[in-house]
Amino acid sequence: MKDRMDDIKYSVSEALELPKDVMLDLPRIIMLGNIQLNVSNHRGIIEYTQEALRINSNAGVIKIIGKDMELKTILSEEIIVVGTIEKVEIIG
Amino acid sequence: MQVIRLWNYLRGYVIIKVEGLTLERFLNLAATRDIYLWDIRRLDYTLLEMKVGIGGFKGLEEVVERVGCRVEIMNRNGLPFLLQRLKKRKMLGFGFFIFLAIILFLFSLIWDIQVAGNKRIAEEEIFQTLENVGIRRGIIKYRIDREYVEDRLLDEFEDLSFASVEFKGTRLVVEIKEQDLPPESIDMDTPCNIVATKKGVVLKTIAKNGSALVRKGDVVDEGDVLITGLIRDEDPEVEDMLVHAEGEVLARTVYTYALEEPIVKKVEKETGQVYEAHELRFGKRGIIFSKDDIPFEDYIEKTRKVKLFGREIDVPIKILVHEYREVEVVEEKQDIDALKNTIYMKAIEGINEQLAERVEVESKDVNYKVDGNMLSIHIVVEVIEDIGRKQPLT
Repeated sequence: MKDRMDDIKYSVSEALELPKDVMLDLPRIIMLGNIQLNVSNHRGIIEYTQEALRINSNAGVIKIIGKDMELKTILSEEIIVVGTIEKVEIIG
Repeated sequence: MQVIRLWNYLRGYVIIKVEGLTLERFLNLAATRDIYLWDIRRLDYTLLEMKVGIGGFKGLEEVVERVGCRVEIMNRNGLPFLLQRLKKRKMLGFGFFIFLAIILFLFSLIWDIQVAGNKRIAEEEIFQTLENVGIRRGIIKYRIDREYVEDRLLDEFEDLSFASVEFKGTRLVVEIKEQDLPPESIDMDTPCNIVATKKGVVLKTIAKNGSALVRKGDVVDEGDVLITGLIRDEDPEVEDMLVHAEGEVLARTVYTYALEEPIVKKVEKETGQVYEAHELRFGKRGIIFSKDDIPFEDYIEKTRKVKLFGREIDVPIKILVHEYREVEVVEEKQDIDALKNTIYMKAIEGINEQLAERVEVESKDVNYKVDGNMLSIHIVVEVIEDIGRKQPLT
């Protein structure tokens, strides 16, 4: 049921050229080189250490591996991570 | 980013350490409650360090209760805490206030008065006038009515064409402009004589108006009438006529100038040895810092000011450096011919100062005389010049 709903949403946003992250409620991940990573529209933090960070989202769990990672900001709509980012993985 | 940091500083924040097992839950709960957390760092497996605003910290209490962790305040930062600390240290704040007040007070005083543009009027006279209106060093500058002072200056000195009083920081600058005095002229209608300005032998008299009283070869003294404006007719019946005399009287006049110079001269020669002493001066009083007495018998003293901040600033506290240069006094016998030359140059300079601008030098007589240690020079110059000066007839 949910999948069908998403399909429709996808087609509509494709047809009307609407931003898909808004339509499909997907996270927007912005990386600034390897020193900063912003995740908007997240669903909370699952795990945080200086080496690994897992963030829940509608697209799945975003797993970030790096060194000396710090959470610059946590807000209900955005998380900013700074440090040395080595790997970003999305586990659906 | 700097703006946010500044904002946080102004609002005040605390650095806290949170200890617990489900710290991610703690972060998520805080985020959903719109508590702004920043600079979160994992220190240990069960330990997080973060910053939170004052308002946010109060909201965290509930979160802490639900998650079941321990919160420890490490540091309080920001302006509100600073003010709180200041409240406890009232004297510090008071001192700061006094400091500001003193600075403001000192800046509103006049520390120096400067007069610019005066040529004939002595500075002292202007200072005196200023003093009469109550302006001197050390008064508060806001009390000065500049327009009034300017008017007073213009009143006091009649030949001022312009006066302005301006503040340049703590310095009062009085700028004046003196009127150019017109040469004393006698109206063409006023009857006048032409009299001699100095002693001389008349060479030529050209009377354009009036009648000449002197002829070539006459010796005249200062004040003698050369061309008269009073014309008498031979016929006593005819009334005397008064005219505005005009003309030139060229005469030969003499100028002399004498000068003496010692032949054996004491010359101070620097040996290159220098001794320095520093002085700290407050106004007129000073303390000299020096290790011991000046180690030289003969010396010349030079004083220079240490420029603070590389600029000339007028402050009541000065640092002076006294430089004592050792000198040797040597008696030097000068070559007479060379000395004659230099003394001659000096004498010519001296005599040129006496001469008026438009003169014709007729002859020049130079005499040297050696008298013991002294060489003297005597110059006599004969010139031809106009010695006439108008003097109103009464």
